[in-house]
Amino acid sequence: MTVTATLNARARGSMWIDAGILLCVAGLGFSAIEVAAEWEQPLRAAVAIDLSPAALPRYALYSLARGWIAYACSLAFTLLVASWAFYDLRARRFLLPALDVLQSVPVLGFLPGLVLALVGLFPGSNAGLEIACVLMIFTGQVWNMTFSYYDSLRGVPPDFRLLGRLYGFRWYHLFLRIELPSGAQGLLYNSMVSMAGGWFFLSITEAFRLGDQDFRVPGLGSYMSVAIERGDARAQVFGLLAMGLVIVAVDRLVWGPLVLWSRRFKLDDFGAAAEESQVQRWLARSRAMQAAGAWCGRQYRRFIPPPVPAALRIGAAGADDPPARGGGRWAYRGFLAAAVAGLGWGLARFALLLFRVDLVGWGEILAAAGWSFLRVLAAVALGTAWTVPVGVWIGFNPRLAHRLQPLIQFAASFPAPMVYPWILLLVLRVGGSLEWGAVPLILLGTQWYILFNVAAAAAAVPADILSAAALLRLGGWARWRKFILPSVFPGLVTGWITAAGGAWNATIVSEFVHAGGQVYQATGLGALISRATDVGNFPRLAAAVLVMALVVAGINRFVWRPLQAFANDRCRFGN
Amino acid sequence: MATPETLLELCAVSHEYGNGGTERERVLQDVTLCIAEHDVVALLGPSGCGKSTLVRIMAGLIAPTGGEVRYRGQKLAGVSPGVAMVFQNFALFPWLTVRENILLPVGSLPEAEQKARLDALLATVNLGAYEHSFPRELSGGMKQRVGIARALIASPEVLCMDEPFSALDVLTAETLRNEIGRLLADPHHPLRTMVLVTHNIEEAVYFATRVVVLAAHPGRVEVVVPVDLPYPRNPDSPAFQAIVANLHAILTRTALPDTTADAGKVVTQKDGARRRIAPVSLPPVNPGEVLGLLSHLEDGERDVFELAERFGKEFAAVVRVVKAGELLGLLETPGQDVRLTALGRELLAGSTDRQREIIREQLKRLKIFELLLRLIGVQPDKQLPEEDLLRELQALLPHEKPRPQFRTLLNWGRYAELISYHQRKRLITAYTRKSPRPGASPSG
Repeated sequence: MTVTATLNARARGSMWIDAGILLCVAGLGFSAIEVAAEWEQPLRAAVAIDLSPAALPRYALYSLARGWIAYACSLAFTLLVASWAFYDLRARRFLLPALDVLQSVPVLGFLPGLVLALVGLFPGSNAGLEIACVLMIFTGQVWNMTFSYYDSLRGVPPDFRLLGRLYGFRWYHLFLRIELPSGAQGLLYNSMVSMAGGWFFLSITEAFRLGDQDFRVPGLGSYMSVAIERGDARAQVFGLLAMGLVIVAVDRLVWGPLVLWSRRFKLDDFGAAAEESQVQRWLARSRAMQAAGAWCGRQYRRFIPPPVPAALRIGAAGADDPPARGGGRWAYRGFLAAAVAGLGWGLARFALLLFRVDLVGWGEILAAAGWSFLRVLAAVALGTAWTVPVGVWIGFNPRLAHRLQPLIQFAASFPAPMVYPWILLLVLRVGGSLEWGAVPLILLGTQWYILFNVAAAAAAVPADILSAAALLRLGGWARWRKFILPSVFPGLVTGWITAAGGAWNATIVSEFVHAGGQVYQATGLGALISRATDVGNFPRLAAAVLVMALVVAGINRFVWRPLQAFANDRCRFGN
Repeated sequence: MATPETLLELCAVSHEYGNGGTERERVLQDVTLCIAEHDVVALLGPSGCGKSTLVRIMAGLIAPTGGEVRYRGQKLAGVSPGVAMVFQNFALFPWLTVRENILLPVGSLPEAEQKARLDALLATVNLGAYEHSFPRELSGGMKQRVGIARALIASPEVLCMDEPFSALDVLTAETLRNEIGRLLADPHHPLRTMVLVTHNIEEAVYFATRVVVLAAHPGRVEVVVPVDLPYPRNPDSPAFQAIVANLHAILTRTALPDTTADAGKVVTQKDGARRRIAPVSLPPVNPGEVLGLLSHLEDGERDVFELAERFGKEFAAVVRVVKAGELLGLLETPGQDVRLTALGRELLAGSTDRQREIIREQLKRLKIFELLLRLIGVQPDKQLPEEDLLRELQALLPHEKPRPQFRTLLNWGRYAELISYHQRKRLITAYTRKSPRPGASPSG
């Protein structure tokens, strides 16, 4: 009885779901045409932005398209470069430090070079500007994904690799059946973080001034930036709502189902069984999707034949892989040489640019770096002060954590610069200036990382330790100093690393704020970079970006790494 | 009936791990072995004898650095065509169902063939109802069945099993052993050629037509014991027990050779000249384990295997404890037996302080500890950095991994209050005894 009922429900549901999916596909196709049309528009530096709410869906679509294209590039880059670094020992020695440095370069530092180069490449159309915008989002997304995938490649159990060899896996089998599944969870988590990181600078990457030129591509970010510039509060509210909707929709429709689905890729035994999400259930009930799935499966088997283990190859001559051909190796060497040459050329150009900064300029940059350093420090300290107690409280209360997690996640992925004018208004109202008002602005975007990691660390404290602490009657400050702080310290350090990196990036937008037709500035490296971009002073910009990258990389190397090693050595539970 | 065909030959196989530089470790030396059809070969030996490396060489997963491997007369290059492998920790893909895991090696066969093979195998290993489960829902025994099914589905000619039962609990292992025994007893079952790596003597005798006893450091064939009992074998039969006893004796002899009493000790001859003696490593055991063993010997001598059984421990683990006790002069091992020495008795009767004192004196007589104390002494600030000691150990005991030896030295040295270790600074110093009671004033 119930069985037939559900069967009927499946059948009935199927038609509606099929219709829905058809609509979605049609919508996607239409969107693609729309986006493509926008890309092929003739180049116009500053496109007029329509501030009416009716224009928002289209803008949201453009921004989403950029975000996802950038994400696709990030994913491709991650898989290629992380695998390269893993398999090629010689390349690894150069790639890992390079990635580390690139990670420390402020996202907006890439902006002028990319824009000028790409606009030059596509003089007739908007494509150059669009690609530049996508690439900037890409630089905000890619690095942590690459590091995560590289780590998971190193973490693949050696027995799995042996198994692959026993069963005649080719590189693509190894990649699809072992490496990608092993890395799936880490990659997914970092993808979520990256997507949020990509949105962060949306209002800048879509609308910025470079020298005397005003560049703008239509999207949510440019909508917000125009609304802010004109001081149009109604449009700002609508823009924020749209942004929030986009974030929630992406989370619900894409990440949520993927997270549930990816549980099966947990490598240890204690993972929950894979669950089906609502979206997955809907999809499973659609006949159209089933047909599409079957078709994909057939194509997969057609183009990627299953591995043939040696045991089934008896009689076939040359049981093992053919040796690598010399040609391939030479092509690879050629590629390497070209890459090194290109890099050298770029560095030389960069150095020439630097020579045009005089001593006074350098002094100014260093002083500004000092100011920004103080702000970052203040922001991280303030963030730590409130997030540690709250994070511990959340972590020790699993039910609370369950309820608050989506909220925190939302707050973390919301592009903070979009609400800067409102905070700034508040700061000015109480009689402050941006000199210290930048601190809360920086804080706004970066505190969530500390909160996240502290809560996770607190939740992971073993129950026995909790009981022991309770029995010892540790109270008040002693409880914090002897028990809680050391327990969450590894999480805190991880949070600090992410937060501090983000904070340096955020100085660029928080020390130099356009609001209501006015420009507010603070003395700092971020403001210096923003101003240099604004007036098109490239030597100064290059020097400032270099200094920021060095400072971030230096702090990583000399403060965070030792701290992390210490935390992992002394403050880990287990063994 | 034709003579069984030779499948796998290892000719004087040697293998070294390492980077080709100074840090080389020889794990196998001159291993010659021949596996014919319907041979069941058990590789038996203590840890460190290269058992796992040896099966990986047979499977073609590792190319040996010396010697030659032939499969059906052909020199092996790459993975062996007819060898399948079962892993100690199962190595199942958690993201694939039982069915998908088992079908992994035969994806290239037609679907009907895949299904036929799968159904036959699921029945053999009693997994039918688990076909669509994920591995994480399965118990260890069930997981290993999946591992075995996956190995068998490509119809291999030789099945290599690397400690297939040691990740399972005792009862589950017993069940699975019996089932595999039944397969071997079945003359119609296609696969009756096996290589089994184990440290369990009864397991070896239960399955094997030949038991190959390996010795460690470097791994080499000590002796090959044929087992001619018909399948299925009864572990309680006298013939079975006799072979087990024989292997016990061989293993004890291999593991506890009757060396001279002062091996590894600092020996001072009458004329005062020190004999040059190579230091002997301390087995990786804790002082508590040795003291525990001593208390079990209070009322007389015991057989090593009896002790292993009583403690529910692996034979090799007990041998390590016995060796440590012997090195410290607390035990002696005539033949297969273990008994207390006079010093051992004194230690058992003594107070905690006295026990510590005896061990301290005995440790000081070991070459390796004498060297350690001398090393601390020659440091300008009497503080020995950890990495210096590690380097010394690598040079002194080239066959051992320095890190475990370092940990053992620290454990014993700190227990006996000979040395002290500052974990944060990673420095080793000589221990300075504090006055036992605040009331007792230090002399001098």
